Amino acid sequence: MIDLVGKGKAQTCNGATRRDFIKAGTLGAIGLSLPEYLAAKELGGVDPAKDDNACIMIFNLGAPSQLDTFDMKPDAPAEIRGPFKPISTTVPGIQISEILPGHAKIADQFSLVRSCHHLGAAVHDAGWQIVQTGRQFRGGVETPHPGSVVSYLRGRKTDLPSFVILPELMGRGGANLPNGQAGGFLGKAHDPFALMADPSQPNFQVPDLLPPSSIGTARLDRRRQIRDVVNSTIQNFEATENAKLLDSNFQAAFRLMTSPQARDAFDLTKEPKKVRERYGMNRFGQCCLLARRLVEAGVRFVTINTFLTVFDEITWDIHGSKPFTSIEGMKEIVAPMYDQAYSALIEDLVQRGMLDQTMVACLSEFGRTPKVNPAGGRDHWPQCFTCYFAGGGVRGGQVIGASDPIGGVPADRPVQPPDLVATIFHSLGLDYTHHLPGPGGRPFPLVDFGHQPIHELFG
Amino acid sequence: MKRIWLFAVGMAIVSLLPRTSCAAEDTFAVLPTKFTLDGENAEQHLLVEKLKDGEFIGNLLDGVTLDSSNPNVVVIEENIARPVANGQATIIAMVAGEQFKADAAVVGMEQPSPRSFRNDVLPVFAKVGCNMGSCHGALAGKGGFKLSLRGYNPSGDYARIVQEARGRRIERLDPGRSLILAKPSGAIPHKGGLRFEVDSPEYRAIAEWVAQGAPPPKTTDPKVDHLEILPQRMLLTPETEQQIIVQAYYTDGRVRDVTRWAKYESTDTAVASIDQQGSIRVMGHGVCAVTTWFDSKISIARLTVPYDNEVDEQLFVAEKDSDCFIDRLVIDRLAQLHLAPSPPADDPTFIRRVYLDTIGTLPLAGEVRRFLADESPDKRTSLIDELFSRPEFIDYWAYKWSDVLLVNGQLLRPNAVKAYYLWIREQVEKNTPWDEFARQILTAQGDAFENGATNFYALHQDAESMTENACQAFLGLSIGCAKCHNHPLEKWTNDQYYAMANLFARVKAKGWGGDARAGEGERTVYAATRGDLLQPSSGKPQPPTPLDGEPLDIDWSGDRRSPLADWLTSTENPYFARAIVNRVWANFFGVGLVEQVDDLRVTNPASNEKLLAATAEFLVENDFDLQVLMKEILRSRTYQRSSQPLPENSEDKRFYSRYYPRRMPAEVLLDAISQVTNVPSEFTEISFPSTDKYDTEFYPKGTRALELYDSAVLSHFLKSFGRNSRTITCECERTDTPSIVQVLHISNGDTINKKLSTEGNRVDALLDAGLADQQLVEQAYIFALARQPTADELSQLMPLISEVSSDEKRVVLEDFFWGILSSREFLFNH
Repeated sequence: MIDLVGKGKAQTCNGATRRDFIKAGTLGAIGLSLPEYLAAKELGGVDPAKDDNACIMIFNLGAPSQLDTFDMKPDAPAEIRGPFKPISTTVPGIQISEILPGHAKIADQFSLVRSCHHLGAAVHDAGWQIVQTGRQFRGGVETPHPGSVVSYLRGRKTDLPSFVILPELMGRGGANLPNGQAGGFLGKAHDPFALMADPSQPNFQVPDLLPPSSIGTARLDRRRQIRDVVNSTIQNFEATENAKLLDSNFQAAFRLMTSPQARDAFDLTKEPKKVRERYGMNRFGQCCLLARRLVEAGVRFVTINTFLTVFDEITWDIHGSKPFTSIEGMKEIVAPMYDQAYSALIEDLVQRGMLDQTMVACLSEFGRTPKVNPAGGRDHWPQCFTCYFAGGGVRGGQVIGASDPIGGVPADRPVQPPDLVATIFHSLGLDYTHHLPGPGGRPFPLVDFGHQPIHELFG
Repeated sequence: MKRIWLFAVGMAIVSLLPRTSCAAEDTFAVLPTKFTLDGENAEQHLLVEKLKDGEFIGNLLDGVTLDSSNPNVVVIEENIARPVANGQATIIAMVAGEQFKADAAVVGMEQPSPRSFRNDVLPVFAKVGCNMGSCHGALAGKGGFKLSLRGYNPSGDYARIVQEARGRRIERLDPGRSLILAKPSGAIPHKGGLRFEVDSPEYRAIAEWVAQGAPPPKTTDPKVDHLEILPQRMLLTPETEQQIIVQAYYTDGRVRDVTRWAKYESTDTAVASIDQQGSIRVMGHGVCAVTTWFDSKISIARLTVPYDNEVDEQLFVAEKDSDCFIDRLVIDRLAQLHLAPSPPADDPTFIRRVYLDTIGTLPLAGEVRRFLADESPDKRTSLIDELFSRPEFIDYWAYKWSDVLLVNGQLLRPNAVKAYYLWIREQVEKNTPWDEFARQILTAQGDAFENGATNFYALHQDAESMTENACQAFLGLSIGCAKCHNHPLEKWTNDQYYAMANLFARVKAKGWGGDARAGEGERTVYAATRGDLLQPSSGKPQPPTPLDGEPLDIDWSGDRRSPLADWLTSTENPYFARAIVNRVWANFFGVGLVEQVDDLRVTNPASNEKLLAATAEFLVENDFDLQVLMKEILRSRTYQRSSQPLPENSEDKRFYSRYYPRRMPAEVLLDAISQVTNVPSEFTEISFPSTDKYDTEFYPKGTRALELYDSAVLSHFLKSFGRNSRTITCECERTDTPSIVQVLHISNGDTINKKLSTEGNRVDALLDAGLADQQLVEQAYIFALARQPTADELSQLMPLISEVSSDEKRVVLEDFFWGILSSREFLFNH
């Protein structure tokens, strides 16, 4: 059942000051649902000892080919094994593709789950939804993204939002389904803050983060005062979710604007040039660097979309023909960029002593067909794919599960998206059996009954 | 002892009292009221249903016994009737001492009832999930065994089961050893697990079919024509359960109870859930539908669960006599759901609302003053009439239809964009009836620049996408799923899809090929006299047939699009009028009668079906004149209600008990800010998804956002505030959800701030006019909010402006404008 009052005492949660708490209470009275307030009520499913844990989810849009990356089948016939050769890694017995040499050097840090699969349609958007949230949306019930769940259960830790998506929300997937990057039934107040800019651009700034120089603190105060007077007059909006949301967005925006800590977190020029270059001076590389800075500054969940859409962009979606990507495009463009940024991120987190408390989860909507198609590419294949995890309590250098000899179906320890999501919740100290209030107050467990974290990862 | 007995009698008397008093309105029915059991395998689920004022209000689950008048003909076991011998019988339910009856007949018992592959075996596979997408119904099958998705291809499935794998999947002499029985019943390992038990009805149906020699499906097999759900409409209360019955009507006239074999789903599980036995459990208040699927046919039953409010009946009575049909039908629904209507909106709210919804602009200060001063009783009607002759009316609706028709510079070359837009605009200006509008698009031919409508075929260059986009735009139907297999949520089959698409097979063109970054964009569309689209699974063309219509002669050499347009725009077409009515309705009320606005599938019913039907009828009677429809909506009391929620309607989100406030659409908001500040926006570049841009000279300074032809015009504001990017035919591309990004842009971005600091803007004009401080504030209110500040507001605001020096006055007034422009009241139409 839903815990209306947490198991703990009526203490403030997670470092929120008493004043914040009172403020949250009064805002609640006029219909706002602030995360802190709810988190206080929801203490039941949250492990306070893991309050500083964070997650960086790298979502590999387009879906990498398991056979050309982390689950190679060198002994299979040519039309299965594809053009690439396996290479050894720092972990004896684990081989990965030659197109990921950076990964090979840090293989002791991450663990592969080679037996992922799902029962949803082989359509990008369906997979985005299922793999990120652990559920296919049915009967009007939209499951929140794990980042939104964290935002709901833990609230924000600093002036920064608790859940950020870089560089922007997923775009078109072809089937026009919800992409799973939203607050779902927890409400739009728990939608992610999407950056909506490319951090590798020369003059990168969070769009509109700072007021024009002509507007100082006195003017900002006056503006807010006038707005409050106008807002207090007509009360027709209380029953309108979008109006309530507008108000909470104004709160969040003012916090962001006025917090030096928040501004600093987004300022990549504070990083030495060498560090920026180590990540790669491209959109994905700088997003990885920014993700690290945001986690350092107290963001609880960062999702990086490796690409924005699968159309007219070189991505993991290697159908082999236009408007999709060729297998060479993956080798020449996608893999080097990805390999460099990921290995930089992991190394950086290790150096800074952050990896133990920061899970880096690399997911994709599905895998790709074992057989190379006539265009020399591979098509969609939800029946088997590899996801992998580092940090946040995960013991690296393992392979969990296995696929059959052609990488077509799980042969051992099949893993489904709710298990992946439960793994993330576990790392963040959230009880995966805890219930959230769904539509109409109906309780929804964080993941469906029968699924659980991949415990071996943490062994 | 005696006292206890007396007490019990007393209780009995008390409990009898209400029953006698409501006996007049409560009655009961046995469902189905009449049925035939045909052959030894037939069965019929039975319900005893309670009725009140003609509405079904729940099953009687306990305390009712059903009896057969003739157990030698029909017996009843656990509310299921089964045949014994040919003849007639009456089914009798005793409720509260009264008898309620149904008529039963048994036929066909003199001959054996052979099992049919199509009608007995495939339904088992569908029900237990063998042929679903995640099992053997996957495109590649599962474990070497492939079935068509949910059994849409019986002959193919038969071949897979009986002929493939050297026939080892069935064993005619010992059916139990057939793989199709041994695996799902767990006799030998099955990756898909246990699907049914030995001797279950599922097992028996397949076993008997195998034992009878596994006969193949025949083209003469009776097929399901349609489904009927009993009861079809229900009025229920939370925490109750309700069983439903599904009857399949076959092409040979037989009716069969398929409750056991149908699949069930709820459209809104917050209102009610349904299990796979067809038992509904009511969870909350509102309306929802349960959909049933059997043999590629779909049917729905609707249920209404009234809210717990106590509403004064007088509130409903007042509107029952309205001369506007919309009001009468809305109030009926509100009364049924126990939702109170909010009172009428005041004049300042009304003028602002009707301007924004009808012509997409704020009223000017002078217009507001004139309207407020006008004392004539029909001033609202006069105002509505005036709006239809405004040039902004044309801008607003041309923009709206350009959203639907994807006028987009990322897909078309600039001159084609312009021609397409100007064509749409011309139709709005001439008030072309909507059926004629659709016909001209569908049958368009000729040069892209001379006949802008032909650009529909420049955007959609193959028969499949022409079909899908035409269906989406004009019928609100998304039939894309049926391209590969029968539509899982709809009745459309794979054959119907290709029959429909074949109507577009002969649309050809010369000239520009489709590269939006190069070429002139000039293309000539014509209809060829030969050529067909092949149905890939058969390799043959389907006879060209509009979805539900009659096939054309495949050899006819005329333009197939002409009979298609006849069918599509016909007043008989149940989708065409409803689709446009729902779009127009959603424009004015914010929430469509069907949501999403362009998702009119059978399994997504309207919140008020009678109202949608009546509004569609109204449009047809008025020859598809959209302006007549808009005026009828605008003059209704329903539209003119306040947005102030009452305790008795605050839960309502889609029944129109009040006006629902919503953020202005991106373009309207930008224009409103420009109008209030008196500083126009500039639109000088077209942008592509990556980084490239090019200049455009289509839009001179002063062009409003609603006058743009093209969704690819670069504008950070419009993008952040969720304009429709016009890449797919879908209203879902537009969003009015507030985000932090928008708030940051309002606060710090260069739209409002720049307009407020621009020299010679509204701020300067007001200051130059030498107005007193209070008048300055009042003017700002009138321009942005169409009202005067209240005394309370003035008392709080005046110190902020009167206590500053005169050289600071400008920035203070700027801040006033900012405070007002960033308020909920400004950003929302309410």
